[in-house]
Amino acid sequence: MAVTSRKGRGNGAGGKGTVRAAIMGACGLLGLAGSRAEATEVRSALLGYTEPNRVSAIEAIVDGNHDFSDGKILNFRLVLDALTGASANGATPASYTQTFTRPSGNGSYQTAPGETPLDDTFKDTRGALSVGLGLPLNRMTNLNFGLYGSGEHDYSSLGGNLTLTRDLHQRNTTVALHGAYFHDTIFPEGGRPDPFTPMEPEGLPKAKLSGDGTKEILDLGLGVTQVLNRKMIVYLNYTYSNVTGYQTDPYKIFSVVDPVTGDPRATDPYLYESRPDARDKHILFGKMSWHLERDIIQLSYRYFMDDWGVHSNTVDLTYRWNLSNRTFLKPHLRYYNQSATDFYRRYLVDGQALPENVSADYRLGDMHTVTYGLTYGRKLDSGNELTLRLEYYAQMGDGYPPDAIGNLKDFDLFPTVDAFIMQVGFNFSLPE
Amino acid sequence: MPLDVRRQKGHWQGRFSAMASPCEILLEVDHEAEARTLCEAAKAEALRIEAKFSRYRDDNILHALNNGAGQPVTVDEETADLLDFAHRCHEISGGRFDITSGVLRRIWKFDGSDRVPSRKQAKALLPLVGWPKVTWDRPRITVPVGMEIDLGGLGKEYAVDKAATLLAERTTASMLVNFGGDLRAVGRRKDGRNWQVGVELPGQADTAGLQLELGLGALATSGDARRFLLRGGVRYPHILNPRTGWPVMRAPRSVTVLGDTCTEAGLLATLAMLHGDGAEAFLEEQGVQNWVMR
Repeated sequence: MAVTSRKGRGNGAGGKGTVRAAIMGACGLLGLAGSRAEATEVRSALLGYTEPNRVSAIEAIVDGNHDFSDGKILNFRLVLDALTGASANGATPASYTQTFTRPSGNGSYQTAPGETPLDDTFKDTRGALSVGLGLPLNRMTNLNFGLYGSGEHDYSSLGGNLTLTRDLHQRNTTVALHGAYFHDTIFPEGGRPDPFTPMEPEGLPKAKLSGDGTKEILDLGLGVTQVLNRKMIVYLNYTYSNVTGYQTDPYKIFSVVDPVTGDPRATDPYLYESRPDARDKHILFGKMSWHLERDIIQLSYRYFMDDWGVHSNTVDLTYRWNLSNRTFLKPHLRYYNQSATDFYRRYLVDGQALPENVSADYRLGDMHTVTYGLTYGRKLDSGNELTLRLEYYAQMGDGYPPDAIGNLKDFDLFPTVDAFIMQVGFNFSLPE
Repeated sequence: MPLDVRRQKGHWQGRFSAMASPCEILLEVDHEAEARTLCEAAKAEALRIEAKFSRYRDDNILHALNNGAGQPVTVDEETADLLDFAHRCHEISGGRFDITSGVLRRIWKFDGSDRVPSRKQAKALLPLVGWPKVTWDRPRITVPVGMEIDLGGLGKEYAVDKAATLLAERTTASMLVNFGGDLRAVGRRKDGRNWQVGVELPGQADTAGLQLELGLGALATSGDARRFLLRGGVRYPHILNPRTGWPVMRAPRSVTVLGDTCTEAGLLATLAMLHGDGAEAFLEEQGVQNWVMR
């Protein structure tokens, strides 16, 4: 007779077996919380993002939770990113070299004939921190509240959120009510330009709005998670979001073009953009996880609409292919399409009456995007996990609209934006 | 056995007897009076759970629902929670864990003899085994006539967790709750050391058992090497498969698991036993520290 002592590796998340995880969940039915559950888990990642010839970013994410023995959970998330490069300023290409004033008013940059004007002064670092605490109110009810703060050199955001979750039907159903509030402040370099006023040449003062821009965001949501059977879980969520305040992008302009040539008009060719100061959004989200014998499929769909006239659809599919107990490959496919906001204009024509709002920001235009990705993950001997993710993303719109004027017919008015993403992740538990 | 409280090196030890097992509480408190009050509370909780769920009594809820004559019986919250839990465990284990399998003890008496019942006898009992035949609609349960619910497979581990939880509400001191070898440690000790525990492997008088260290968490053991039948050189272990009415051949002699709660550890140990030959592989997949005796 012999006693063999060993520690299993675990076939599920965090080195935990699926049966064990299910039993630990079931222990919750008895109001039994594990005392050894006092543990800290940390997920960290370093992400590189590049749009060739445009923006490059590097981002570090540390995200973790500490489970206390009495059922309380502390979450934290820290994100630091650095961004450099060039971003489309909204103006149209022209048949000659165009000169634009930098946002500070000191300095200018030029765009070659036929090229999409890019403001190359983009440079920022951002830090964001959120901390949350989950409290079990009773056996089946949990309250989560959190605080969020972020800052960069021209923007800050402060917010708080509250989530109440309740388990029903032997924990096969979870209902969540969610509320969040954010107060954002924008203090752009060179001040906030007065909408529809011209971009002045270098050295001349521009017309400005007084003070900083502020914006209030209120989110309200209702979510339901339903375990259908041992293999399928469905999650449905509806969110209403109300944004009021300054939502104009102070760095974006639009071109007013000559009705014949399509080139910018001679006087005041570029005006600062303007967006409405209220926005109501509705978001419906559904996600299904399907556990096969060995692998896991996740499919989600998101529908978005707002009173700016945007409707969008997102379909996202991942397949986690468990190569072994310790390694997996996860292909990722995503498709997104959106209709333009009511006030999106690629440009205005000289002599036309000014609409109430105008933006030529390509992110508000008609477009669709596709993402192809692949993640490789490997559990180490220590039980910690290493992941490597590669993704390609392309954003496409109508570059040659049939109603383009004059020279604009020859230029790509909505160039495809490509992006590459590489991420290295390390997930680990801290020893007690 | 009355409660016996005595001073040990750096902690207090309380001993009593409940659930047919020697029980022990170790507490890192300063004063005897405090130790005594806490141990009394733990003892009362163990005796309460024993009285409520023992299948040897005729005055408790278990007796009431097993003698409902096929009629619905309404149960209290705690019993309902345990039934919900047993229901989930039946689901999770694909039917291996079944609180209605106690009926099989009518033909299986694991007394070391060679009295192995016939396949026919086992088959004849199977209509009386199977959790899905019970109608459980919280808070009402209907147990068909002839069937029996037995929470013995959960009771001791559940009592350990309940007693530990109860004490943890009253003191922040480090403690170890040990009911007959199923145990749970709560709260770090002041000097950061672990509790030294001896886990007796049932039926192994000739070995010293396992000497383990436990900081936080729980240990539970399934299996009893004394309980078996032996015929024609074949060993029939006492662990029964509710779907066949037959022992799980080639089950380990015992399995000990380290978990977060005693109930979790006990269930994993039981499920490992039910996997027979595959016990080690099952435990490997669950990622738990374990000790398997073959």
